[in-house]
Amino acid sequence: MGIALGCGGVTVSFDSVKALNDVSLTLESGKIHALLGQNGAGKTTLARFFSGLIKPDTGRLEINGREVEPGEVSEARAQGLEIVHQRFTLPPTFSVSDALELSATLKKGRAVFSTNTVAKSWGDEMQKAGIDASPFAKVGSLPIETVQSLEILRALSGNARILILDEPTALLSPGAIASLFERLRKLRADGVSLLVILHKLQEVLEIADTVTVLRDGRLVANPTPIENTSSSELSDLMIGGDGGPSVLQAQAAMSASGKARLVADSVTTASQKPGEPELTDATFVVRESEILGVAGVEGNGQRQLADLVCGFADLQDGKISLDGVDLSELSLAERRRIGIRIVPFDRMSEGASLATPLWENVITWRAEEFRKPHIPFLSVRAMKQRSREILGGLGVKFDSLEQSAMSLSGGNLQRLILARELENGVKLLVAAQPTRGLDFSATDFVLRCLEQLRNNGAAVIMMSSDLDELFDLSDRVIVLRGGRIAGEFQPPYDRQLVGDAMVGATR
Amino acid sequence: MELIDQFVVTMLRSSTPIILAAVAGLFAIRAGVFHLGMEGLMLAGAFTAVAVGTVAGSVWIGLAAAIVVCLVLSVLYWILIDKFRADTVIAGLGLTALCVGGTAFLMQAIFNQRGSMQSSVRLPRPVSGVNDGLLAFVSELSVMTWVLPILVVLGWILLTRSHLGLQIAAVGEYPYGAEASGVNQSRVRLHAILITGVGCALAGAQLSVGDLSAFTENMTNGRGFIALAAMLFGARSPLYTALAGLFFGFADAFGILIQIRADGSIPRQFVLMAPFVITIVIVALSSSIGRRRRRF
Repeated sequence: MGIALGCGGVTVSFDSVKALNDVSLTLESGKIHALLGQNGAGKTTLARFFSGLIKPDTGRLEINGREVEPGEVSEARAQGLEIVHQRFTLPPTFSVSDALELSATLKKGRAVFSTNTVAKSWGDEMQKAGIDASPFAKVGSLPIETVQSLEILRALSGNARILILDEPTALLSPGAIASLFERLRKLRADGVSLLVILHKLQEVLEIADTVTVLRDGRLVANPTPIENTSSSELSDLMIGGDGGPSVLQAQAAMSASGKARLVADSVTTASQKPGEPELTDATFVVRESEILGVAGVEGNGQRQLADLVCGFADLQDGKISLDGVDLSELSLAERRRIGIRIVPFDRMSEGASLATPLWENVITWRAEEFRKPHIPFLSVRAMKQRSREILGGLGVKFDSLEQSAMSLSGGNLQRLILARELENGVKLLVAAQPTRGLDFSATDFVLRCLEQLRNNGAAVIMMSSDLDELFDLSDRVIVLRGGRIAGEFQPPYDRQLVGDAMVGATR
Repeated sequence: MELIDQFVVTMLRSSTPIILAAVAGLFAIRAGVFHLGMEGLMLAGAFTAVAVGTVAGSVWIGLAAAIVVCLVLSVLYWILIDKFRADTVIAGLGLTALCVGGTAFLMQAIFNQRGSMQSSVRLPRPVSGVNDGLLAFVSELSVMTWVLPILVVLGWILLTRSHLGLQIAAVGEYPYGAEASGVNQSRVRLHAILITGVGCALAGAQLSVGDLSAFTENMTNGRGFIALAAMLFGARSPLYTALAGLFFGFADAFGILIQIRADGSIPRQFVLMAPFVITIVIVALSSSIGRRRRRF
């Protein structure tokens, strides 16, 4: 068995932080290798190093058994290595065939073309790969799992023999994860070597042939055959000696008698997102000290619900109020002021301004409070001072207030968002997929925050595609399907009934 | 008949440089560069075509020189925005200011002329001898107007049906994806800016040696900015942009014709203002229609 990927003594540092510290490993070809670690452990950095996107401080790189100059994308490509990034690379404004042509012509070369020939040739490729979409459709209008299959198709179009996938399951529904894994097994059967970055132990145990663990930029477990390890051993390796894996033990307290905080009376939205149903004729209440779980297959009105509450979507019909105050006429800023907050679906594009310093991300929305006396200026010093307290309050790890939000890892960025949203009189928090893409200690932290918020009397709407955490945390669960409320459930939850309501099955 | 003839000639003449610059400018704007240096490049092209053409005695040498000068200035612009990370708008305005002053200075320094200079060269008018009838106007159009449709189609193919066009759009709309697909963003931006430069050179040359045989200080008179308006009005699509350019030519022709025909009852200033007022109104209308709901 040959060597697909190898590296020796790799150290990568960003500013003063060592993202990778003297990492050496070799991965055999023709297998599915999992790379496991907490957020910020260096998994993505290692993947980017392998694919030539990062030039290391020191270290050597070996692809397909050959020594390759590190830090050169074209070199890695020439050896048949491709990467599917966590963030999609196909431009959302492009048609599917244009988007595929963009990255694929780098290898094939079709200087001038007609739309139809390109659509036809990519349509054929898509059919062969079993992807059901029109080559003329806009990438941005397709479901996430379809875009991901297209990303894999793109990567393989240049005859890749080694494929790296960076957290491919983070955005997928359970059904889509199953078909992704099916696709990966097929690729393995075709002789493609795979390195898959994952953060859920269960998924690692299900798909991987070997597993490698990183912690704080160091290799803590060499590639180990999956049958020689166990989930408890892996979680110890990920977390390290101190701390240990914490268990979600929150059993929701019954508090159905609390005062109604958010009241939505047969509301219909006009958000006009193409391809997604509007929230239609929905009536629900969220009470004080209550977590209302929202279950549903992605794209069934969850975003419309969040947008309606926070003011991004217009109300077409019905009434919505918070503590008796009609929300329909309130601006976004006014809604924030009366205590409506959101942890948005996508923390990178909606939750933070990535190019902006940390302190601005935290404090800008309430800059008004930092006016200097007598003169019309803001006190930057006071704003920074307060930002430091806010960030420190939730344990966001950072070097300097001036560093950009981009430099934070996923879990750390989510902490920042929570720290900002939970400040200053929150009455209702909409938490949209708050744990998506986070490792389990960060997930645990987020869930505990929500729990504590509930215990302090706030109302929480929590949307998650992870039914387990939804059931653990929620006092009640409603299910959205096609924009309508398809069912309401009380604990103890029956997974099968909730699942039936999600997909519309009857038995 | 004569009136319509005159009107069509004026409209085509006025819109030719605008369309040339606008369609070429699409390359820059699609690559994410809001190129405010186009006005200056047109002016540099206009001056170089007259100056070199006159000295060399050939309009074609003048045209080639205009292209070379605009390419050099475009590289300068690219170095500023790409290598030194200058703001595209400020660098563009700087480039324009440099060209406005530079052409006036060189005209005085080299040719000892102030305000304007005459030239002996002019682009050929390929169709001649049509003296009467409805089509008489075609004999007054320069070769640039004749090749314009070909250039527009070429621009359309390059922007929407070529590998380079896809790369340019990716760099402008989704830099992350472009980078991850291995596109060399810096080089793609350079190519886009160079193509814009060539278009501006042709547009400027059309102004000085296409319509006339003369160069006047600041003779572009805002056409580079009108070209930007045409791109936005044309929704960044080459064909719509060309139509928008034609429309601005129409507005221009309208103003000129009133000026010629009017017996002085309309103040001259208002007549001169007409094309700009029409431009502002149209752009304001189109952007208010397209404006999305505020998010924050």
